[in-house]
Amino acid sequence: MPDPVIQLIGVTKSFGPIQVLRGIDLKVGLGEKVVICGQSGSGKSTTIRCINRLEAHDGGRIIVDGVELTDDLDALDEIRREVGMVFQRFNLFPHLTVRENCALPQIRVRGTSRADAEANAMAQLDRMRIADQAAKHPDELSGGQQQRVAIARALCMEPKIMLFDEPTSALDPEMIGEVLDCMVGLARGGMTMVCVTHEMGFARSVADRVVFMGDGMILEAATPDDFFERPQAQETKDFLSKIMAH
Amino acid sequence: MEAALRPPVVDTTAFGWARRRLFATPVDTIVTLCFGAVVVWVALRIVDWTLISALWSLEDGQTCRDAAGACWAVIEARGRLILFGLYPYEEHWRSTLACLAIVATMALSCVPWFWSLKRLPALWIGGFVTFVVLMHGGVFGLSVVTTEQWGGLSLTVFIFCSVAVIGMPMSIGLALARRSKLPVVRHVTSVFIDLFRSVPLLTILFTAAVVIPLTVPDWAQGDKLGRVIFAFAIFFACYQAEIIRSGMQAIPPGQEEAAAALGMKYWSRVFDILLPQAFRNSLPATINQFVITFKETSIVTIIGFFEIMASANAAVGTGEWGAQYVEVYFFVGAVYFLFVFGLSRYGAYLEKRARLTHA
Repeated sequence: MPDPVIQLIGVTKSFGPIQVLRGIDLKVGLGEKVVICGQSGSGKSTTIRCINRLEAHDGGRIIVDGVELTDDLDALDEIRREVGMVFQRFNLFPHLTVRENCALPQIRVRGTSRADAEANAMAQLDRMRIADQAAKHPDELSGGQQQRVAIARALCMEPKIMLFDEPTSALDPEMIGEVLDCMVGLARGGMTMVCVTHEMGFARSVADRVVFMGDGMILEAATPDDFFERPQAQETKDFLSKIMAH
Repeated sequence: MEAALRPPVVDTTAFGWARRRLFATPVDTIVTLCFGAVVVWVALRIVDWTLISALWSLEDGQTCRDAAGACWAVIEARGRLILFGLYPYEEHWRSTLACLAIVATMALSCVPWFWSLKRLPALWIGGFVTFVVLMHGGVFGLSVVTTEQWGGLSLTVFIFCSVAVIGMPMSIGLALARRSKLPVVRHVTSVFIDLFRSVPLLTILFTAAVVIPLTVPDWAQGDKLGRVIFAFAIFFACYQAEIIRSGMQAIPPGQEEAAAALGMKYWSRVFDILLPQAFRNSLPATINQFVITFKETSIVTIIGFFEIMASANAAVGTGEWGAQYVEVYFFVGAVYFLFVFGLSRYGAYLEKRARLTHA
């Protein structure tokens, strides 16, 4: 495996009395695509939210692009510049147009000039095939379009790593395809991706590794072929039979 | 085969509408006629009193007792006192210009072009400096008029604007402090807000006007009007802070998370993402607060400032015009209405604009 850009070493996390992560060890190499799946409540979202410290971990170590995540805010800013994130609920800024959604963070975070930021915004929107909607506000777009804007917005920051937190779970079925297509395109371009998803077709065709979580632990991590054809853990087998049943 | 169902025929003429809405049943007809009669009678009385039977100015030997309706001559005779209070007569032009300057500043700050962190403060500093130079004088050969002599409409508008302009940034600060991650900041702010909200405005203004001079050394007292405005602004800010906070709480947590994940720092998250949305969410309540504040400025009468309500009282305080208090209050009511109605319309415009730009 190439040098890891993300390292989680024995990461633990509790919300009050409930321990949601019980010692997560995970390494993601540069350019690697990792799909995390598991039942809801298994801690998969919390795991990737710890990678850019939307949640602070209680124990263990997280090292992203050579910088350890601590309370140090400067280090955190540095990491957040390198890590893009796409959310289940899109989280576009409703008071800004699509173009401004993509341009404003560049201006504020990277100090880009407005002209350059808007040019870059249009380039990324074009890459997501949504440039024709640039002048609209998010609530004028369909869910699939909004999610593609959200991906473009994250890409505008030129991240080394992209995190996806169930990017298609809030979408109507007919819109899932257009978002997955964009993500496949991104993967082919060599982006390092960590993706929490239930889209097993995407996992099979794109992932280098599938990680299966249950009860705050990693129960199984394997290549897609091994994971789908020769699952080892009983929980994985149960999960796969449930998800493949229809 | 059944024929396709035809849409019901609806008579859309005014006559058809009236028959459906007003005269559908005998009871409807009676209610309509009764209320119609009352409305027409009241409207006719008002028109008659204010216009038809009104006396607009007094000819030789006439008095207001000759008027069957309103006697608007009182406005002609006492209008200056109502609008300018105790401000020196020869200098009324300064008060007029000052009032226009502050109203113009208000109007300009309603224009979206001015809504930036540089333009808006610059505009208001300009507006206030113009106002104070004109009202107070002492420069450019203008004679000095102390704040004790300020009065009438320009004082009302000045108090309102100062309270709003000082109070708004304060309220944003308080709202942010109240949702701070630091427990000390959060709790102190919350006690501060509750303290000021639980005390009547009058008590706060009395404290500022009367108690502070007794307890604070002379050099730190400042002007009485300044103290009263500042105290009023704190009171305003405590209410407005809660309005803004409610607007912030309506924003889904994903908004701040998304901004944080993009690497945006605290102040950028607050000013670019949170506050614009919070303002839109709290717009109706904010306009409400402005309207209340505009009318509450009349409370400064009690601590000895001659704003428009007090000067109106003084105008009918003499025996000569004592009977014309209805006309005078009508006039003052119209002035208040002009401002408050303007505020409401502007609020409606902002809401419409927010909808068009998809809040």
